[in-house]
Order: sequence, then structure tokens, then C-alpha cells
Amino acid sequence: MAQVVKIRADGRAGRRTADAGKRTEYLGFGLAGETYAVPIEQVAAILKPPPITEVPRGPHTVRGIISVRGKLVTIIDLRRRFHIEEELRFVLAEAPIERKARILLTEVAGEPIGLLVDEVRQVWRLAENEIEPTQVLGNDQPPYIAGIGRPAGATEVLILLDLRPIVESP
Amino acid sequence: MIEGGGGRGDGPDKARDEFFSEAQELVEALGRDLVGLDEALRKGQVDAELVNEVFRGVHTLKGLSGLFGATRVAGLSHQLEDALDDLRLGRIDLTTSVLDLLFQAVSLYTRLLVAEKGEAPEPIAEVDALLVAFSALSSRRAGPRAPTVAEYDLPPGLFGVLTEYEEHRLRTTIQQGLGLHRIRVRFSLSTIDSALDELKASAKPHGEIITYLPTGTGVDAETIELEILLASNESVDKLRAVLTGPNLSIEEVARRTHASDRPSLPAPPPSIESRPPASPPNAPAARGVSAPDEAGARTAMAAVSPPAPARGVSLAAEMSLRSITQTVRVDIRKLDTLMTIVGELAIVKTAIARLSDRARNRAVGSREIAIELQRLNRSFERQLAQMQGGILEVRMVPLGQAFDKLARIVRQLSREHGKDVRLVATGAETEIDKLIVEELSDPLMHMIRNAIDHGIEPREERLRVGKPTVGTIALNAFQKGNQVVIEVEDDGAGMDPAAIVDAAIRRGVVSAEEAQELAVRDVFALVFMPGFTTKQVATDLSGRGVGLDVVKTNIAKLGGVVDIASDLGIGTKMTITLPITLAIINVLLVNIGGRPFAIPLASVDEAMALDEAHVRAIESREVLTVRGASLPICRLERLFGMQPRGAAKGRAFVVIAQVADRRLGLVVDDLVGQRDIVIKPLGKSLSGTRGFAGATELGDQRVALVLDVAALIEEVLATGETRFLVHGDAQESSRRRAPQRRA
Repeated sequence: MAQVVKIRADGRAGRRTADAGKRTEYLGFGLAGETYAVPIEQVAAILKPPPITEVPRGPHTVRGIISVRGKLVTIIDLRRRFHIEEELRFVLAEAPIERKARILLTEVAGEPIGLLVDEVRQVWRLAENEIEPTQVLGNDQPPYIAGIGRPAGATEVLILLDLRPIVESP
Repeated sequence: MIEGGGGRGDGPDKARDEFFSEAQELVEALGRDLVGLDEALRKGQVDAELVNEVFRGVHTLKGLSGLFGATRVAGLSHQLEDALDDLRLGRIDLTTSVLDLLFQAVSLYTRLLVAEKGEAPEPIAEVDALLVAFSALSSRRAGPRAPTVAEYDLPPGLFGVLTEYEEHRLRTTIQQGLGLHRIRVRFSLSTIDSALDELKASAKPHGEIITYLPTGTGVDAETIELEILLASNESVDKLRAVLTGPNLSIEEVARRTHASDRPSLPAPPPSIESRPPASPPNAPAARGVSAPDEAGARTAMAAVSPPAPARGVSLAAEMSLRSITQTVRVDIRKLDTLMTIVGELAIVKTAIARLSDRARNRAVGSREIAIELQRLNRSFERQLAQMQGGILEVRMVPLGQAFDKLARIVRQLSREHGKDVRLVATGAETEIDKLIVEELSDPLMHMIRNAIDHGIEPREERLRVGKPTVGTIALNAFQKGNQVVIEVEDDGAGMDPAAIVDAAIRRGVVSAEEAQELAVRDVFALVFMPGFTTKQVATDLSGRGVGLDVVKTNIAKLGGVVDIASDLGIGTKMTITLPITLAIINVLLVNIGGRPFAIPLASVDEAMALDEAHVRAIESREVLTVRGASLPICRLERLFGMQPRGAAKGRAFVVIAQVADRRLGLVVDDLVGQRDIVIKPLGKSLSGTRGFAGATELGDQRVALVLDVAALIEEVLATGETRFLVHGDAQESSRRRAPQRRA
């Protein structure tokens, strides 16, 4: 119920695609072989990673800080955030940033945040019925997973993310 | 209305901003003058010139607030003006309780202005209580008692709109003993001129029309409603008989009940406990033009529940000493200087444009371009540096701004606490960044509260130990290099280390074992821990365990430190050390673990090559001998847990940082150089990370973290273990201990 209301509250998209069912645009990106996606309206820009300044003794998930147009941006390494390849970390203290890696620039609770991802893939327009609730995965899901996207006619499985818990409850 | 011709754009908002900043300045000046009056009064004098000054200030404020529709401020000013007029004409005597009322008025002004900005609810009940107290005051004056304007229940906004003459007439007629009547009458717009003249003519034999104002309510486009204030010695019934009309109503303006019915105005309650219950939340408020029944209700209300006199503002209500506005007053000459620099920058810009034109047309060779660009760059750099300096200067304001408010607090607190305290301030002219002054007001207030509550002893106790009965709190400010030092020193009872340790153990701030190890100075530092208090019973002033830890946090936010020293029976001194400015800071760029970091130069004493031969490990800490004295050092690469990047070099450097009188050697790989930077705060997700004040962009896309030297020193030195002082016995003990460690 709450979900429906939330999507309807997004007036513009709702009206435009009234006939085809409500569709939301998601930006899909790759991370350790999986495809994740965030609502595209939450992404302000996609950056090639500039040199990132580490913050010693900062949270493990924070890769460091960069400056974008005079603003300091906190870079969150999503691999670290999602506890991917923890074992690798012992081999390589600081995994190098690959050529295809990108930073998705966003803002969470007023703080400029950059999400470090392996690569940016494509934009998906998902209708309501193409989104499965997280409960299909079982009850004990991390709070940052908002749902599972299954675009019709594609084999892709998208892990839809909620950004706020990514930043606020590390 | 006045708009239209100007085309300046930001019209009413800008004007309102100016109103607030001007009103605030007036209120602050009032506070200062009142403190002056208070000082004179203690010597048994009444400074007539100051009373006049206060009167003029209130008068200006009244006019100003009337102009901007701040009716409550205007109303309060009006009442105040009456009282001050009585004061300067000697009709009432200036006493401490009168001063109390005036001080309350100043606090209320501040709150009213905040309310006017829409940032807080209006303190209606307090204003009403104060108004009644003032009218009671006026009625007490010596000589034959004549009624005053204050006793009439007139809308507070009215006085903002009366001309001086009308006001004068109002006063005079009231003093003649005439009653006031309010006539509401509706005219058709087409006939208003003649109809009004008619009304005036018929009213004339019965009294004097003071003023008429449009009410602006309940009228259609064709009619206008006026409210006429008529002074007359005839009864309202008589007037109703002679002044008739279809849309006309007359009512008598109610007299406030005042204290003349009671024996005399009670002095302000000496202690918190006897504070009368708060006024009913919906106490009838004088707002706008009151309806007839409301005026009646007010009289009845006032009769049943005598309003709390002289106690309108409690201390708790005065939560913050921060200014209402962020405005900085600037000497026009400073702006002229800046303007000149901008002019010169424009010249540089033109030269660059010309050069790029010529380069495009290949009129000049690349070598010439290079030379010319170099010259322009130098000129640009010079102008920019001047500009920066100029703007910094504009941000600087004298600390006195904060001190003035503190003097008021001292007076208020000492009276409420029944202690006699005097504040002696020096160095009020010391300049510091406006933002810092703002952030400093509240911590200073806490410190002063603390000094009055815990420090200064009660009068009898002071007599017993042979101290002067009047306690002294000294507030000293001075500049020391790139830092500003502010001391708050009292001549009170001082702190008992044993009592502090007891309280700290009882409250679980430290364990008994830890307490054993504490040096005297560390013991005093305990009072800055959250939740610490030695008072058994919380008072309204302090002792609730909040305060000093907040002081420390707030000062730390400004990049400063606070230290405490105390002698039992002699007094306590707290010292705040702060950077002069926050905006642009001069830093030393260094490399640590192959990455750039910035250290604010304000806290750098010197830098030198690290000679490992002079490093000794004592306990778990490394100490460097510098010119025969011990200096604790901290290897930042290790502290930060960084993997070294690039080949390890043989040579390292030590940057000697000093905040207040604590020194720490920071070991870095490399010194890069000095730079002016703009420091930016780290995001919320990094707020728990220790040791950094922020970060700055270095150009070339790189970002460098700025070390929070005060926090690092705190972290490394004040961990409850032995502290290494730069000189004295600590050095002795370190020498003694060194061999044991290595054995």
C-alpha cells in the first residue's frame, strides 16, 4: 500500500506514463559482477574518479574525499559497503581503481556523496510490475535493498538500492 | 509605497535586515548604558547623562520599530520612554529594582526582535507583565500623583504612529486628568472630508481629538473606518449623547489596574524559588486595536490575578547571547581600500585580454607572451593577497561586542544568586573574526555562570576568610601571535582537586584506579567531561552537569582549546585560546606517508629535521630532546595507521605544534611549504573521525586534509597518562625513568 502511494506521489512520471503503467528510471551499474540500480533522479552526475584523498581512521566504507566544483564530496566504496571481497582486502590494502570505475554523485541528507562503482551500465525504465519487493529474498535483507528489478524481456536482474541507509547506517 | 522609483531590487527585505541590525545595535547600546548606570548606582550616583542617553536610545528604537510595524517593540519602548522620562525629570528615583526592570526590558527587546524575525514565539506574557510593572512604577513617582499614559490600555502599536505633537497632547491631556475615549466611525470615502470636519466640530466643545487613524478592518472599497482618540472629562454616556451617527461607537479606554492600589511595588524576588507562577498562557494581550469586550476582560483579569511584577524574564529564557543579525559594521575606508584593489584587478584583467588578443593575431612571440604573463601573474597575486587581507579585516570585530552582553549577564546572575560580583574586562578592543565572536558568546556565558555559581563565595563566607565582600570576575583578552587568548578569572573559592576526583569517580567519569594516576592539571580537566558536576543540588545557574563540557566542545569547534587552573581558596582561571580567523588560514603543507596534509601555521611553533639520535622511548611514548628539553613526539604515519607509499626515506621532519601551553612534535616525511587555504568541513559521514579540522583543495584536483592540531595534542597528550611538560620536573622525571624502560 505504502509503496503505491509513494510512486503516485511522483506526479510527473505517473501522469506521463499513465497508460503504460507507472515507470521509474533507474541507472544500472556493475559491482563485482552484479548489476545494481539507483533511481536516476538521485544521481546528479557521473564522474571519472579523480585522485581520492584517503581519510586516515575514517570509516572503512569511506574511500576518501574529493572536491567537485569547490565542494567536498565523501566517497563511499560500495564494494566495501556491501562487504564484497573482504578477503581480497588483506592481500591488497587498497584495491586499485579500475579504468571503467565511476563515481555516482548524489546527495544524502544534505551531504554530497560519491558512490564508487565498478562501471556504469545503462538506464532501465521499470514499471511497477517489474519490481519485486525485497521479501522475495527472505526477511533478513539489509535496509539498503529497496527491491529487485526484473525488466520484461531481459535476463538482467537488478538490485535496486535505497541510498539513505547506505550512507546513514554503515 | 516608497518603492517604485528606486529600482534597487532587494527593497523590503534589505530594509528589514537593516532594521534588525540597527535595532540590535540600539539594544546593545542600551545594555551598555544600563551597565554604566548600574556601576554608578553602586557608588551611590545617578549618571544623569546616561539616563538621557538611554532615553534617547529608547526613543529612536520606538520610532524605528513603529516604522517597520514591530508594534510590540514600539509599545514596550513607549512605556519605557515614560518611565525614563520620569527618571530624568527626577519624578521617580533610580533604584536597583528600577534598573532590574530596565535590564529586563533589554532582554525582552532581544526576544521580541527574534520573534519579529519569526524565529521564536512572541514573549507576550512577559511583555505584559513588564508593562504593568512599568505602569506601577510610574504611579509611584513622587509629588502629587497624576495619571500617565501608561495606565491606559492603549494598543501598543499606537505609539509608533503618533506624531510627536500628538503624543505630547496625549500626555498633557492625561496629566490634566481627562479621560480617554475611543471612537470608531465609518465614513463613506466620497464624503469623508466634510463628515470628519463635522465630527470634529461637534466633539470640540467636549474634549480634544488627539489623533485619528484608519483601522483598516471590516470596510469595503467605498467606506473607511477611523479610530479617533478623544480626550475628554465628560462621561462616556454624555459623549454618546452628543456624538451620534449611523456608524459611530464610543467606548472608554480602560485604565489598567496598577500597583497604587497596593502598598508598593514589591522588589524582585531574591531567589528562584519564590518566582511567582507563570502568567496564564492566554493572558489578554494588547494587540492592535482591541475589541471593547477584550479591554474589559483584561481589566477583570488583571484584578483577579495580580501580574507578576519585575519578573518577566527568567534566566532560562535567555538561552543564547548570539546576535540577532549577522551584520558587520564596516568602516567605509576599509571598503574604499577594497574598491581600489578591485580597480587594480580590473586593470590586470584588461591587460590579459589585450595580451590574448595579440597572441591570437600572432603579433607577439611566445617568449614575450611568457614574460608578459609572468609580470601580470605577479601583479595579480599581489592584488589578490591584498584583497584577501582586506576582506579578512572587514570580518574582524572587537571582542567587546561579546563582553558587553556578559556584563549584563553578570549583573543579572549575581542579583539572582544573592552574591555581589563585579566584572572587570580588559582587552575589549582585541579584534577577532565576527563568526568566532558569535560562537564565543555562549561558552563565555557558561564560564561566567560557573564562576558565579561555583566560584564566588557567599558574602558571609568571603567576610569570614577576609576577602573583599564584592567578588571579582576578570575577563581579559589579548592577542598572542596568530591566536587570541581570553581568560575568565574569579577570586572565589577555587576548586578542590580531591572533591573533583570524588565526584568524577562517583559519576563514573573515571575509575578509582585511573584517578590515582591523574596529575593535578588532569584533575581539573575532568570538569570538562560530559556529565560532570560537583554540586549536590542542581541550581538554576549551573550544576546540572551541562555547561563546561559544552564549553569545551564549542571552543574545540572553533579550533581552540580551553584550559583550567585553580588554587583552593584563591580562585579559578579558565583560559581560552583561539585562532584569530576561521575563513582563510595559513598552513604548512607537509607529506605524511606520501600524501599531502596541511597543518595550520597558527599552531606551528617551528619545524626542524628529526634527529633520531635524540629520540628516547619513555613509557610507551617517544620523546625528543630539543635544546635540552623534552618534547613528546607523535609519528603521524603510525598514528594514522597508513601504509607508507613510495620508498621510505632516511630523513624525516618534526613540526613542533603548540596550542595554549601544550607542545607536541608531529613527525612528517617532508615539508612542502606555506600556503593560504580556505578550509572546508568534512561531511557528516566523517564526523566521527578524529584529528582533522577539514580539508582544502590544492589545485591540480588534489585535496589535502587539514590537521586539527588541538585535537591531536589532546588525543596524544591528555590520555590520562603522565604528561610531559616542556620544562621543569617532568623533564627530571623523564630522565629518571628512561633507563628503567630500556632495562
